[in-house]
Amino acid sequence: MKALTRHRRLAAIWSSRPGWRGWLSTVNHNDVGLMFLVTAFFYFLVGGILAMLIRAQLATPHSAFAGPEVYSQFFTMHGTIMMFLFAIPAIEGLAIYLLPKMLGTRDLAYPRLTAYGFWCYFFGGAMLLVALLFGIAPDGGWFMYPPLTGKIHSPGINTDFWLIGITFVEISAISAAVELTVSILKYRAPGMSLGRMPIFAWYILVTALMILTGFPPLILGSILLELERAFGLPFFQLELGGDSLLWQHLFWLFGHPEVYIIFLPAAGVISTILPVMASTTLLGYRWVVAAAVALAILSFGLWVHHMFTTGIPHMGLAFFSAASTLVAIPTAVQVFAWIGTMWKGTPRLHLPMLHILGFFATFVIGGLTGVMVAVVPFDWQVHDTAFVTAHLHYVLFGGFVFPILAAVYYWLPLVSGRKRYFRLGEVAFALIFTGFHATFLAMHWVGLMGQRRRISTYAPEDGWTAINLISSVGGFVLAFGLAMVLVEVVLHAVVRHHSARNPWRAGTLEWATTMPAPAYNFASLPHVDSREPLWDDPGLPVRLARGEGYLGDPASGRRETLMVDVATGVPEQHVVYPTNTHLPIVLAAVTGLFFLSILIKVFWLTPVAVAGVVALGWLWVWRLGSRNDLGEQPIGRDLRVPNIAESDRPPGWWGSAFLLVADGTLFGSLLFGYAFLWTVAPGWPPPAFANPSPFALVAASAGAALGIAGGVFSIRNNRDGKGPVPGLLMALGGMLGLGVALMVFLAGAPSPSSHAYGATLWVLGSYGLLHAVLAGLMLAFLLSRHRAGYISSRRRAELAIAPVWIGYACVTTALILLAAYLPGLAT
Amino acid sequence: MSVTTGIVLSGCAGPLSPLEPGGPAARSIATLWWVMLTASVAIFALVMVLVALAWRAAAKPAAQNGSEQVWIMGLGLAFPVAVLLSLLAYGLWLGERLLPRDGADAASVQAEARRWSWAFSYDDAPGRITEDVLHIPAGRPVDVAITTVDVIHSFWVPRLAGKLDAIPGHVNVLRIEADVPGTYAGLSSEFSGPGYDRHAFTVVAHGPDDWQAFLEGGE
Amino acid sequence: MTDLLRILVSPVAWLAAFSAVYGLHGVLCSMMLDATVFGMSRSRLVLALAFVVAVLLQAGLLAMLYSTRYGAAPGFARVVSRASGWTGLVATIWTLFPTLAVSTCP
Repeated sequence: MKALTRHRRLAAIWSSRPGWRGWLSTVNHNDVGLMFLVTAFFYFLVGGILAMLIRAQLATPHSAFAGPEVYSQFFTMHGTIMMFLFAIPAIEGLAIYLLPKMLGTRDLAYPRLTAYGFWCYFFGGAMLLVALLFGIAPDGGWFMYPPLTGKIHSPGINTDFWLIGITFVEISAISAAVELTVSILKYRAPGMSLGRMPIFAWYILVTALMILTGFPPLILGSILLELERAFGLPFFQLELGGDSLLWQHLFWLFGHPEVYIIFLPAAGVISTILPVMASTTLLGYRWVVAAAVALAILSFGLWVHHMFTTGIPHMGLAFFSAASTLVAIPTAVQVFAWIGTMWKGTPRLHLPMLHILGFFATFVIGGLTGVMVAVVPFDWQVHDTAFVTAHLHYVLFGGFVFPILAAVYYWLPLVSGRKRYFRLGEVAFALIFTGFHATFLAMHWVGLMGQRRRISTYAPEDGWTAINLISSVGGFVLAFGLAMVLVEVVLHAVVRHHSARNPWRAGTLEWATTMPAPAYNFASLPHVDSREPLWDDPGLPVRLARGEGYLGDPASGRRETLMVDVATGVPEQHVVYPTNTHLPIVLAAVTGLFFLSILIKVFWLTPVAVAGVVALGWLWVWRLGSRNDLGEQPIGRDLRVPNIAESDRPPGWWGSAFLLVADGTLFGSLLFGYAFLWTVAPGWPPPAFANPSPFALVAASAGAALGIAGGVFSIRNNRDGKGPVPGLLMALGGMLGLGVALMVFLAGAPSPSSHAYGATLWVLGSYGLLHAVLAGLMLAFLLSRHRAGYISSRRRAELAIAPVWIGYACVTTALILLAAYLPGLAT
Repeated sequence: MSVTTGIVLSGCAGPLSPLEPGGPAARSIATLWWVMLTASVAIFALVMVLVALAWRAAAKPAAQNGSEQVWIMGLGLAFPVAVLLSLLAYGLWLGERLLPRDGADAASVQAEARRWSWAFSYDDAPGRITEDVLHIPAGRPVDVAITTVDVIHSFWVPRLAGKLDAIPGHVNVLRIEADVPGTYAGLSSEFSGPGYDRHAFTVVAHGPDDWQAFLEGGE
Repeated sequence: MTDLLRILVSPVAWLAAFSAVYGLHGVLCSMMLDATVFGMSRSRLVLALAFVVAVLLQAGLLAMLYSTRYGAAPGFARVVSRASGWTGLVATIWTLFPTLAVSTCP
């Protein structure tokens, strides 16, 4: 078969439907990645316009441009949009678009989930945009501290838009994180061991794991605050045993890792581009990986440095001050590894390199001021002033926007197959660089002169007039530079100026595709022997196009790829992907209906939406699998591996495991909140404890035993040819037992609206119940799959997933009952 | 040198500037800032010079330039460890000194925040409440017990000391001290809604006689 | 997977110990212990013990990563996991030494 014929046949299999309608049903990472990026940059524009409004307001004293009510919406939405609707989705989009190409494979682990995540982001972002257009946007500051954001002080719908809209958008972050983690660990080119992974994949792996453990505290906090606002369950209200500090802990437990979730992918971009710009390899690859891991984990021990002024004892502050200085060390390791890389090679001043130099100048200053605010007494002075605002912009603009602009210019030829024609980028860079530093150096200065953040105006006597004007002028110069980048990208899309393949002479696999990259990425999958396959083997792209790699035969007409061993990259399983479908957008819309029903308080709609989500979820999983045994599949190069349906660890098992990491973090945060209120909140211990019910304890123990044993039997009996039904029924009975136990527990708990104790128990019990029902639904699904003939002693993969969820439900139920009953028994 | 310092300092002066300290706490923090600024400028210059020299280093043989020993172990690990450990020790030592400890001859006052005003009361003058003006003796430490009746606020007198939050249900104690009698501007520095801009107060530090007169009922 | 666990174990153990000691500090403060033992307040003694336990745990993990039985095979994973092991140990000492040196609850 000729390369061109192969290309046509693969394109027919992998392409989305033509025209804009194709966007609604595409599940291909090439499309969805770009959809994420375009939407994210749209929000960058919106957030940027808000920034300009803020600078217009502060340019002169006694400004009458916007009143404080409107101004509060400006700065709240500026922060919210830049963090949640620009930075995180841009990272997701970049990773979704690039990773399969860099890893030498054809798509991510769960193509439909990629699309579902995008549509959740799209609809959730639209909610916030609507609020902004109608002037009812959130106005409590982007970190939403109660009691200011509680029902008493913020009775309007503004706050609900934030809590519900952002939680909806976070679904996309969690699904992208699960997807990226599993894809990096299991969906790589054969031969790509952990030590041969492109450095960008390491950074994204670390970031995805951080999203799984960093976002749940925020999601939990948002749920709790919305429960307080909508249903009167007190968690943050002092009078009823709540404590507003709990929100600050939950928010910053998310908020600090968030900074590194944004920075690490950008560092991955630099670690990828900078060596290419210097025609060399990255200095100290292994040390950089270790530094990224260290940075990721250390960043979870910093959250209290946002709370240095809340009156926590000095020893508590000292732990976090120490951790906040320590985190500068892995950062320094990376910065000096990059500079060492430049010394090792011969740096060239292409446009991406200019932005990397911009990164160095800006990010190093941001890091140094970061160390300053890590020192407790200094933070007491500058906390909540413009100094901190300036610091965080140095970190985020320096550590994220400059690298992402470098990435745009570096990978644009891959997306379009063209090179730049008009040389606007160099001028744009100069404007961005000078504008940025004028704006934010001035802001440090005015902060040191006492200007608080979030004030809508000031008096001439304060002595800040000239500095603010400099800052505003700088801001508009910066905006002009960014607008030029936008113009250049648009021109790039319009003007045909063909680029040669691999224009930067890079060594990583994304440049082995044809340009622009086709929907299937590689006509056949490469075998990888080193970290820079294209440098070792310049003929690789041609041989892949000729079908000389794995899975080069498009005869089956299916979207195929391989799963590999985590450490070594040895091929293990043969994967068939689902194709174009409207399920993701429909499921996202119905999910949105659920959030909308709570937002506008039409509660009869809520159960309808939940039922819709369950039904669509059922359909979603039902469409996979096969009714015939498949046997070992030929994958080319004389190798045969089993299909995922005939394995013990299918993709769903891996996805469940990592989703449960996030779920477990949410549960852990809930237990932390319970313990925190118990020890710190003034209104504790509560007036009445829950009565321990012996029946609930017996039912839960019996349910757990049945559930776990049933899960094990279903797998074992099925393997021995006896069928899984008895085991599944037994496990179903077990989940019923757990459910009954939790309902009895909830019935015996104090009223959820009278005290934070009752409210917390209610959330704990409902959480357990939700998981028992979820595991029960999975078992019911497996029973009907078995009846429909999708499960055989070979096709056993689906059975492996339910026991993971059963085990989780059992463990959490046990912890819930312990946490609820032990204090009552002890007193 | 002193002229430059003078210009820099005057550029940072102002009624709300922590860099024009009027008391021991703010002064020691201002010193901390100048130390950190100097070190930061030096470190920033070092990094930029290293980046710039990469273009000159490119002319040399590769083996001399690309050593993990120098870049990772030396500049990446040893150098920041030394700098950061000394800074951390300095910061913690200073933090300890600024805490309100027993034993000092400190006056006690209460500051109660609400949207958008402050009410101050005095242990030495029971029943006396002043709105938006806090009276303190000059040259003597004052422990301010900070509370709120509604949302979170923060008590900040930039020229005297760092800030401390007023959190519902909690009492936080901040030690402030003014060197000489005078008036010092104070701010609430945690966003609290539409009246936040004007949520400010004044601290009046009195000499011994005036302070006695204030306690006995005069202004 | 085992190699990934080797890379993650020490820093994650640091995070667990760090959070636990911070939590312990909060609990001790809410209990208002003021009796002294060996010239230290009881709460500082408990915190100092927790610090020592955390350091010993990290030292144990580091020894495991250097052992032939539990450590990674030579190459990429060995270098990275040992660097992570040192990270965990240094982070434990660096972030928890305030239990010995800084004043506790007011």
